[in-house]
Amino acid sequence: MDVRAIVLIGGRPESSRAQLGGVPLAMLDMLGASMLNRVTQRMRQQGVGATAVLSEFDPFHERALNHEVCWFKASREQLWRYAEALFNDFAQSGAELMLVMRLGPYINLDFERLLEFHLDRQSRVTQARGSSGKLLDLLVVSASRRNDAAFMFRNMLTGFRTPPEIYDAPGYENSLETPADLRLLAVDTLAEKSGLMPLGRELKPGVWVGPNARLDSRARVLAPAYIGAHARVRNMAVITRGSVIERHCHVDCGTVIEDSTILPFSQIGAGLDVSYSVVGFRRIAHLRQRVEVEISDERLIGMASTSAPVRALHEMLSLAAGIPRALLSSLRAKHQETPVTLPEAIQAPSPALSGATLEHQDRADRHFAPELMAARRYGNQ
Amino acid sequence: METSRPVVVKRVPERLDMTEARRFLQSVEPILRRDRPQLVFDLSNVRRLDSAGVDMLLRCMSEAMKHDGDVKLAAPSPEALVVLELTRTGRLFEIYENATDAARSYSSFLPNVLRQFAAPDHSTIVFPSQAPKPTVAKEDKDAA
Repeated sequence: MDVRAIVLIGGRPESSRAQLGGVPLAMLDMLGASMLNRVTQRMRQQGVGATAVLSEFDPFHERALNHEVCWFKASREQLWRYAEALFNDFAQSGAELMLVMRLGPYINLDFERLLEFHLDRQSRVTQARGSSGKLLDLLVVSASRRNDAAFMFRNMLTGFRTPPEIYDAPGYENSLETPADLRLLAVDTLAEKSGLMPLGRELKPGVWVGPNARLDSRARVLAPAYIGAHARVRNMAVITRGSVIERHCHVDCGTVIEDSTILPFSQIGAGLDVSYSVVGFRRIAHLRQRVEVEISDERLIGMASTSAPVRALHEMLSLAAGIPRALLSSLRAKHQETPVTLPEAIQAPSPALSGATLEHQDRADRHFAPELMAARRYGNQ
Repeated sequence: METSRPVVVKRVPERLDMTEARRFLQSVEPILRRDRPQLVFDLSNVRRLDSAGVDMLLRCMSEAMKHDGDVKLAAPSPEALVVLELTRTGRLFEIYENATDAARSYSSFLPNVLRQFAAPDHSTIVFPSQAPKPTVAKEDKDAA
């Protein structure tokens, strides 16, 4: 049987809520792969043929896009019209069943069973209902029912010519409406509750590492945690309580990442405390404060280029610039106490702050007052 | 313990980057150079705070401590709290729900205020995101 799929992203006013930094949550990496990639891959594994993705948004980097699907971009106004046209094209080219899905909520679903249910009931349209009792934007439509499909698309999947059959989908469900939901999904996946798997190998129980991830020898990673491909965690950094570091992230020395998700290409400065947050695109969404803050200071939170050649060039330039600076500083070097153990490193104030000097201050004033340092060093002496 | 010295409540600008931090520091420097300065920074308006802004707060605190004084923070906006927590500086300041409490804390210990808003991990004092507005936060005004 020829089954094809149309996956929609956006298309409704409320879809702008489920975003971070202008990127829909469904397109953000979660433990190595975006929900979009995971869903299309599962569809393929379960016998769905050609899959077309119709999105209001561009993929934010080249790896966010699964190359085995056809990608179409359309404005919010045009999206449903294009979906209708795409449905007709698939029907004309021989498709018998169409799976229509608007990405938003994640549900651990067996697509084969859904298709079987639709065929058994001989219905025109079948709609899935999650374990929470909420109707999902996941439908199976017989390809010959073009009028039903047209009516459905014109009503943004909320109205039907004839009431659809309801398929109750048991299993894990996550609404993926806010960054907190994305974080919850990551934690549930690390706890093996969601039916998803982290992309990478299990370095030790509960600690997953993607290919080419670099963990410096004195970095500490506590299970459960995930370090994505090409990510780097530097000395004295601590990754703890179900934290997720996605691909190409850079966590600098002495920074503590606790119960947080760091989205791809983010660069976290040295000596920071990132807790209960989703960080990415130079923004931090604090889950306890329920606030999203833009950070324009590269010393705190930055973002690497999504293009590999640009990243390589940037690294070469920073290396070239760093050598003379290191030589000069070694010539003028005075003995400075630096934290040598993990507890000292994570108690020290952020080195990011020492770089932000105010110009009119003289050099002697650039350091904290001796009284202040004494107050912060308790326990060391 | 009672004190007769004035408490200066200063409202911090909405954007505290390098330029604004320098300007703000210049405006508070005369106060910081007094004997035992008592300052309250009202952070309720702060929407953008970067490392230069945090550095300025630390500089003010160290300057005040040099003169046996102190700097306390009042009514921090959620944006300011996030950055203070991120840079590990929140724990270095006494933080109060409003400028009145912060000013009063110079003359008497307010255990109820601290207990009410203490974070579960006792590392920093946090407030609900919908914290009420300060009642006496006025720029450059001396509060008794």
